[in-house]
Amino acid sequence: MNVIEAIGLGKRYGSTWALRGCALAIPAGHVAALVGPNGAGKTTLLNLAVGLTAPTEGTVTVLDGRPAGSPAALDGIAFVAQDAPLYKSLSVADMLHLTRNLNRRFDQSYAAARLGQLGIPMRRRAGNLSGGQQAQLALTLALARRPRLLVLDEPMAMLDPLARHDFMAAVMAAVADGDVSVVLSSHVLAELERVADYLVLITSGSVQVAGEVDDLLASHRVLTGPAAEADSYAQRLDVVNARRGGAQAHLLVRTNGRSGPVPPGWEEHPVSLEELALAYLREPGAGALPGPTRARGAEPMEVTNWQR
Amino acid sequence: MTIDKDVSTAGDRAGTAPSGTGGDDGPAAAARLPASPIEFRLDPGSGVPTYLQLVQQVEHALRLGYLKLGDQLPKVRDVVASLAINPNTVLKAYRELETKGLAAGRPGQGTFIQATLNQVALPELTELRRSLLGWLATADATGLDEDGMVALFTSALRGFRERRGAASGEKESVA
Amino acid sequence: MATLTTVQPAQDAGLRPVPWRRMTWITWRQHRLALAGVIALLGVAAAYLLITGLPMHQAYGAVSACRPAGSGVCQQAANDFLDTYAPGVGVTLGVFQVIPALIGAFAGAPLLAREFETGTFRYTWTQGFGRARWALAKIAPLAVAVAVAGGAFTLLVSWYMQPIFGAGDHNGPLYPTLFDFLGVALAAWMLAAFAIGVLAGVLVRRVIPAIFATLAAWAGLAFVTGIFLRQHYEAPLVTSSPSIPASAWVISQGWFRGGNPASLDMINQTLRPVDVQAVTPELFQPGPAAPATFGDPVKYLIQHGYTQLTTYQPASRFWPFQWIEGGWLLALSLLLIAATVWLVRRRAT
Repeated sequence: MNVIEAIGLGKRYGSTWALRGCALAIPAGHVAALVGPNGAGKTTLLNLAVGLTAPTEGTVTVLDGRPAGSPAALDGIAFVAQDAPLYKSLSVADMLHLTRNLNRRFDQSYAAARLGQLGIPMRRRAGNLSGGQQAQLALTLALARRPRLLVLDEPMAMLDPLARHDFMAAVMAAVADGDVSVVLSSHVLAELERVADYLVLITSGSVQVAGEVDDLLASHRVLTGPAAEADSYAQRLDVVNARRGGAQAHLLVRTNGRSGPVPPGWEEHPVSLEELALAYLREPGAGALPGPTRARGAEPMEVTNWQR
Repeated sequence: MTIDKDVSTAGDRAGTAPSGTGGDDGPAAAARLPASPIEFRLDPGSGVPTYLQLVQQVEHALRLGYLKLGDQLPKVRDVVASLAINPNTVLKAYRELETKGLAAGRPGQGTFIQATLNQVALPELTELRRSLLGWLATADATGLDEDGMVALFTSALRGFRERRGAASGEKESVA
Repeated sequence: MATLTTVQPAQDAGLRPVPWRRMTWITWRQHRLALAGVIALLGVAAAYLLITGLPMHQAYGAVSACRPAGSGVCQQAANDFLDTYAPGVGVTLGVFQVIPALIGAFAGAPLLAREFETGTFRYTWTQGFGRARWALAKIAPLAVAVAVAGGAFTLLVSWYMQPIFGAGDHNGPLYPTLFDFLGVALAAWMLAAFAIGVLAGVLVRRVIPAIFATLAAWAGLAFVTGIFLRQHYEAPLVTSSPSIPASAWVISQGWFRGGNPASLDMINQTLRPVDVQAVTPELFQPGPAAPATFGDPVKYLIQHGYTQLTTYQPASRFWPFQWIEGGWLLALSLLLIAATVWLVRRRAT
């Protein structure tokens, strides 16, 4: 089952396309990271997925085919928007009651226990909590709804390192506990490496890279060798990004499953997620998209393979 | 790897909210037995994949005696709650340990140590050490410096591991 | 240790019923300041009516007890009473005209606009409840409250106006500034203002501009209704008699001669022999050469072939007009609220 599926998805604001021709199929049971520069379209994509916005073209469905924004979709998705919006004048207990009454499912005991563990007092006004506490409260409310999919839009932008750690720990614990998939957007790569097992890279309103982290890391390598030979190898190999010194060059290469022998005089290294993401972000023309039969109902996609 | 000498607190923190939230104290803490003798830590800058760090820490703990036969490894949920890492990573590490025969999962209970690391007998160890010193002398004579020796050794080890992995039919990348 | 257990899935059958009480309470908590202001406004107005109304009622007691009723003395007493109190009442009600607008604007405009301004719609619109039900759950209780408050205030105004009507004020209940505070009109106008406010809130999405938009729209509607629309609910009556029924609402009055409208110059020409000047068609100024025994200029003009035509609505039409106005205001309010809910459904960020 795909938790988010998009076919030809596009959203236009005025004359600008925030998102165009977006195709996506994020499978369930993963923690998917949506990564991209500011303004790339991450928030737009998430808003479309949770039904806050309607597409200009294309379709987006969630949780195995439910139309985004439909009652069935709203029921199964919990969303924490940027800056964790809450009713600032309500107390924490009031927010719990409100969320409980606005949803079918609400695990009151879980929410109360979690807030107790976090040391968030029930009677305090939500507006008087610290930024980290507000984020944790919003997360608690979302998790207490026991959603199938948890969507987080830059949840940690305003948090200090400890608060960030606690927040992510809570999300990961929820994933470990139950049947929750997570889609979260961020522009901080380093923190995602420990957390994400599915990566979606969005640049300039379209999906550049999408796939399981393990697959992506296994199918890319860095080859280091003499700069003079770099060009000739670049012809034969699928190079995503090249960096050169005077005598030495690093080629980030997509192996496409073929692990051929390393050319003599060259070394190969495995690639980290951050390095891989940065390389693709530097090369907007390159892409790594999943193969056929991923998106239901869509035409089989080719593995796009633009060279510079 | 820093092993928490106060084993009791290590086990207590397993499962409660991360540090700084003023969790349990007093009689409640004393009453709860630690779930696992060890606690994982993460070195984000080491370049070693997370799951491999966990595997290495278990093996290291076995070597040093922190983990004995039958001990329970930390519960996935507890690891995840304290380190803020993906549960699949922990599962992958535990699967790797199972593949190596070091641990075994008991459904509904957890993962337990099943075997200790192969103890290599002393004469073999001495012989290995002697041949290694010989190699080092040769490398030094060729002009390789210490870092160069380490780099060469590491790369050869990786290649050895890959060939051994390919030979035994196992794939390195777990889905 | 709190964990999310997977024990309870069976319990989440069906959507819970609309939590009216909770939503009402949430709306109150969220808009406390504005609602407190509304209550304060009504309270102050009510207090003023009580403070000025009690002495007026007392004074009227003497007038109504006057015997024989209808005699010159009693008539004079009534006129004196009206001269004393009627102007103040007129000013009061004139000032009070803004009350329905203010209440509607301050109760209605922030309701949805605040959600957009603070971004909390990103939370509420993604709850399982859905936005349409949420919007309705916010709007309906307040709409009812506003209408009820209007009805209650009308009772107070009716009490307040009793002496004035009893003493025979020539401005009957149909008079513009009186009409919309009596009967069902006040409740209807307050509801309409609220509905306009709510719609403005969802269109404008910022609280302060929405409030201004509401006030402007309401003022426009009230003006058009009072000046142009209301007089046509039923075809007005026209009479040429100089004596108009008591308490009728005079819409227009004009002089005609031989079937055509008579200009002021014409009237003045006719009046020159008796040295009376018509400043306006209703106001006559006798000059120094006017005969001492000259009577009513109106009768004089009628004797000289003029006809004064008065267009008016009789006071007996008060309740039919109330139902008509209340009816279309209610329909308008419901329409605006429906439009608001529809917009909430449709609106994208």
